[in-house]
Order: sequence, then C-alpha cells, then structure tokens
Amino acid sequence: MKIQQVPLENLYLQDERFRISRFFSFDRLILSIKEIGLVHPPLVTWRDNLLIPVTGWKRILACLELSFSPIPVVCLDEPSDLKVFLKAFYENLAIREYSLLEKAEILKKLKHFGENEKSIIKHYLPRLGIPPTAHYLDIYLVFSEFPQEVQKSIHDKQMPFAILEIFAAFSPQERERLLPLLLPLGQNKQRELLEDCREISIREDLSAVKVLESSNIQKILASKTLSSLQKSNKIRHLLRKRRYPHLSAQQERFEATLKKVGWPRDVSLEPSRFFEEDKMTLRFDFKNEKELRDALSKLHEASSKKDFAKIFKPPADD
Amino acid sequence: MTESKYFPLKIFISQEAEPSPITARVLKNAPGIPHEVIDDPQDLIEDIRMSRHPVEQGKQFLLLTVQKGEFIKPCPCTPHYLGCNYFIINLETNCPLDCNYCILQSYLSNPLVTVHVNHDDLWQELAGFTARQDRIFRIGTGELADSLALDHLTENSRILISRFRDQRKAIFELKTKTTNIDHVLEQEPAPNIVVSWSLNTPKLAQEHETGAPPVEQRLQAAKKITRVGFRVGFHFDPLIRYPGWEEDYEEVVRLLFEAVDPERIAWMSLGSLRFPPDFISVINRRFPTSKIFHDEFIRGRDGKFRYFKPLRLELYHRVARTIKKTAGTDVPLYFCMESRDVWQAVLKKMPRDEQEVEHSLTHPAAYLEEF
Repeated sequence: MKIQQVPLENLYLQDERFRISRFFSFDRLILSIKEIGLVHPPLVTWRDNLLIPVTGWKRILACLELSFSPIPVVCLDEPSDLKVFLKAFYENLAIREYSLLEKAEILKKLKHFGENEKSIIKHYLPRLGIPPTAHYLDIYLVFSEFPQEVQKSIHDKQMPFAILEIFAAFSPQERERLLPLLLPLGQNKQRELLEDCREISIREDLSAVKVLESSNIQKILASKTLSSLQKSNKIRHLLRKRRYPHLSAQQERFEATLKKVGWPRDVSLEPSRFFEEDKMTLRFDFKNEKELRDALSKLHEASSKKDFAKIFKPPADD
Repeated sequence: MTESKYFPLKIFISQEAEPSPITARVLKNAPGIPHEVIDDPQDLIEDIRMSRHPVEQGKQFLLLTVQKGEFIKPCPCTPHYLGCNYFIINLETNCPLDCNYCILQSYLSNPLVTVHVNHDDLWQELAGFTARQDRIFRIGTGELADSLALDHLTENSRILISRFRDQRKAIFELKTKTTNIDHVLEQEPAPNIVVSWSLNTPKLAQEHETGAPPVEQRLQAAKKITRVGFRVGFHFDPLIRYPGWEEDYEEVVRLLFEAVDPERIAWMSLGSLRFPPDFISVINRRFPTSKIFHDEFIRGRDGKFRYFKPLRLELYHRVARTIKKTAGTDVPLYFCMESRDVWQAVLKKMPRDEQEVEHSLTHPAAYLEEF
C-alpha cells in the first residue's frame, strides 16, 4: 500500500458507507495538524469512480476545517465492502475503545455488508466486549437505528447500556417524548424514570405516551417557571408514587407521624430500606453532655406522644 | 402432562454418557426420537445460548451427559432470609415445562433439558454424604428441574425411591407440577419418601405455567399417591397477586383438602414471587406484556425483587389462615426465603435458624411413628 497525496476536494465525503464515528470534537487534532501536519494517512478506496474515506473521518474533517490540502492517504484496492470495512474496524480496534454507539454502527454495517449473523454474534460481539448472544445483537441494532439527534444526545450524556436497553424497549414515538425528560437527569434518575414509566404502562395497559399525557404531568410540562431539571424531577416523583402506591403511602404516613409528634428536626429517624426490616436507624450529633441531654429530652417528649407508636405498626393496623 | 408427556425433538448424548444403562433406557422409552452422540456438549450449549430464543430452543432438546461436579449441594436459598437446610440432587437440570416466573430461565448457563446418567457416582456421593449427617435431613431433585417431568423417559423416580427407602436419615422429596406418577405408583411407599406438588391458582397455572397440567389434575395425582400410602407435600410458591387472588387461592386450598387428607401432608411451603435483577431482561424479551412482574416489587435485602412487605404479609396471612382453617389440623407450614419477622407475623413462631426450621419439618410425630 502506497501513500499518495490527494486534494481534499477529490474525496467524496457524501458516501459514508464505512463511517463508524459521528460525534467527536477535534480541537486537539486541529492543533496537532497545525503544528506537525497529518502524520497518519487515512485509508480511502474507489467506489463508482469516486474516492471515498474508509478510516480517518475525524482527520479528514479536521483538515477540511483547516483547508489543509492535499492530504496523504493510503488507497485500498479491494472491491469487497465487507473486507474494506473490516480494515477500518480492526485499525481502530487496535488503538482505541469503541463507544456504545460506534459498536452499534459497526454491527449494523457488518450485517449490511453481508457478514452472517452467527459469525457476528460469535466473533464480533466478543471483540467489541459484548456478550455473544442474539439478544445483544438485536439491542445494538435498535440503538443503531435511533435518529441522529437522539444518538447525539445519548453520546453527549454518555448514557450507558443498561439505560439504553430500557429506553430501546419504548416505541420511537415514546422515546421522542421521554428523551427531553431524561436529559437533565443523572443516570440513576434516568433509569428510575424509564423503569417507572415502563412498569406503569404495562401494569395499566397504557402506552408511555398516554402515561405522560396524564393531566398532572402535562401541568408540570406546561409550567413556564420550572426549569427542565425541576420538571423532570417532579415528573419522576409523580411516576414513582404511581408505581409504588403502597410504599409511597407508608413513607408519607411515616413522615406525617414524625411531624405530628413534633420529632426534632436535627435528629434523623430512618426506617430500613423499603421498610423491609423491622428496624430503624436513629442518628444525631452532639458536642457535649448538655447537647446530648437536650436531644434525649426532645426525643423523650416526641416519643411519649400517643401517635408515635404508629410508626412501629404495619399499615393495616393504623 | 398425563395426556401430553414431554418428548424432545432430538436427544444429544455426550460420548461419556453413551455406554450408560440410563442412556439405553431413555432411548428405549423415546422410540422414534432421533439421537446423536456428540464430542462436546459445550459446543451445542454455546450454539443455543447464542440463539435468539435460547430458553425455547433449549427445551426442545434433551442432553444425556455426565455430572462432572458434585451431585449433592445445599439449596442456595438466598442471603439475609431464613432457609430450611434443604439439600438438592442435581440429577437433572432444566425443565420441559415453561413457567413464566421460573428463574431457571436466567439461572442456568446450560439451556438444554439435561439428564446426568452417571448414577454410580451419585450413589457413591450419597453414601458419603448421608454418613456425614448426624440428623434427619431433607433432600430432593426438584430444585433445578421438575422431579417427574422426564420420569416416563428416565424412570428415575423408581430408582431414587428404592435407593432412599432405607436411608432413614433422609427424607427424600420428588417435587413436580406434573401428573407423571406411573413409576411412583409402582413403588412400595415409605414414610421418608414425599411426593410434592407446586400449586397455584387455576388462572395463574393456565396463564403462566405453560405445559403443566391444570391444578385439579395435580391434586388428583396427589390423591392417588396418598391412597397408595405415600406422604405428600405442597408448595404454594410463588404466590402471586392479581385482581381476585384472594378468592382464587382460597378455592385452591379448598380443592386441595377435598382431594388429600391433611394427615398425609408432610409439609406445605409458602413463598411469594421473587426474582433477581438479571431476570428482568428475560421477562422483557419473553413476556413483555405480562403484568405479574410489574406489581409493587422492591429490592429485598438479598438484592432480589420481591413484593413490598405489607403486600407479602397480606398474601401469606390470607393463604396460611385458609390452610389452617380448612385443614382443621396443624399442617407443617413453612416459608421459603422469608425473614424471621414474617415467620413471626404470620405463623406466630420465629425459628432461631435454618436447623430449627429443618427440625420442625423432619420430626413431625406421624413420620416418626410410621418408621
């Protein structure tokens, strides 16, 4: 393979058949090219009398940005798209970790270029660090079909597989409604919102769109004063309450009882997680004997009230 | 199951299993089913694991192979909840029935219905295991498989009953949802042999226990078993909430005691629907619209999903009360994978540990008298 110099305008960039990466920033690469030029030539190949990029999209786009032309390229003389694509695949595999969406794109292209499914599952999934089952292939192929703006958001938020797997189970229309709610949230809360929405939708035989069209959610969405994060959090709370009616009621009852008996604010009394165990945790700070005695006195007063016993009773006994 | 016993599409035999008399017996009992001797079952297992429907595909094939590890293991139970000191014999793994809630769908790395044919190794291991026990213990084959679903092919019940009959330290349990009891009925009963059935409401059995006979047929099979003198057990596990569960469970309990004399019941267990987090992806794939997995489940102390505790208590109170009221006598009742405070709340007893649970199930007066 010989390195040759090619003017940028001779590269046909509309043909993206071998392109794996879409979302990247190339500030540092631009700086590097400015300083030392393009050291590693991209791979290109001829298709329909046009010279198209195989690898090095980022480098080519950076050169375009800099009007750095001509550029060195290595031209592959290989008619099989699959074989050419495999060169792109392995060249990158050797030097970096593929992102989740790049993996999805690779699997889509392998399938498109005619690699048989069994071989994709058996050979390529493990090479991409994905468990070798048809189930995983199917999910990644769904990711690869997400619209570009959705992919961009996923990339920017670095959403992990576990969340995308739940997200992918929704219809495209549902995903469109859910995505803006997810974006302001951290990963744990994204997951919670998606799971709750899905659970409610199955339990109540409603589409997620219908779940999100409920009047209380619409009211939040229509608010002009709430930020995106506040809206997402409020909706998340509503969904949680709807998914866990008994648990939410018990939590509310617990908090209401503490309020009713005048539980001191600086002393925390926590039930076990999900009230699963018959034990609670009491926590407070003190600096000296007086503060300890004060706290104990307040605790004694609150716990002596008749209603206090309610927090130890199961809900049915209330 | 009486009408439609399981026959695989094909039987695969590992090279080591080929000379076994158990293999010959299965082939004799499955005339016309194609079979193939294979070098390495792992290749076949991997192929099926990779497929789009590994659970469904795995059930279509029967693998005869040898158990290379130990046959007998303590039941893994679950951390932080009270166990019952049960032991399991992994003579078979996986099951031709297809219960939606069955955790074997994600628990077993081998999706094929598998029979281990190296019985001599089992008997040797069992002799050593039994000799080491200083008490009466419970042991069974129904944890990673249905004890009787393949019995028309393997005749394992006949062999196991005759082996355990004189093992007075062991109470041996065959646990099933089937009515595949012909080989059991041919055996002389013994007080330390218990045949037990997993029960649920007819509605749940019909909708979620694909391939299993209706509950009424299971109870008729239990009736036949008690009539020839065996003791029986029943497992209400998993108890599942749905609109109308209260009346439906009451009805099953009523049908149970119509069919079976409470005096012949060795034990009954209660457990509510629970599943590990990685099971959810199986459910989403195989039963995406099934509502039973989308109730108010919280993460228990063991990390598994289980009903929010007041909902579990409601289930247990109702079913336990109905059992006690209908049986009119003390049927040994225990919980599978529950906390000590649930025991106390529902059964009004709080066993110290799993040895105490075991003792309460292995020492009922009726059992000792029969011996």
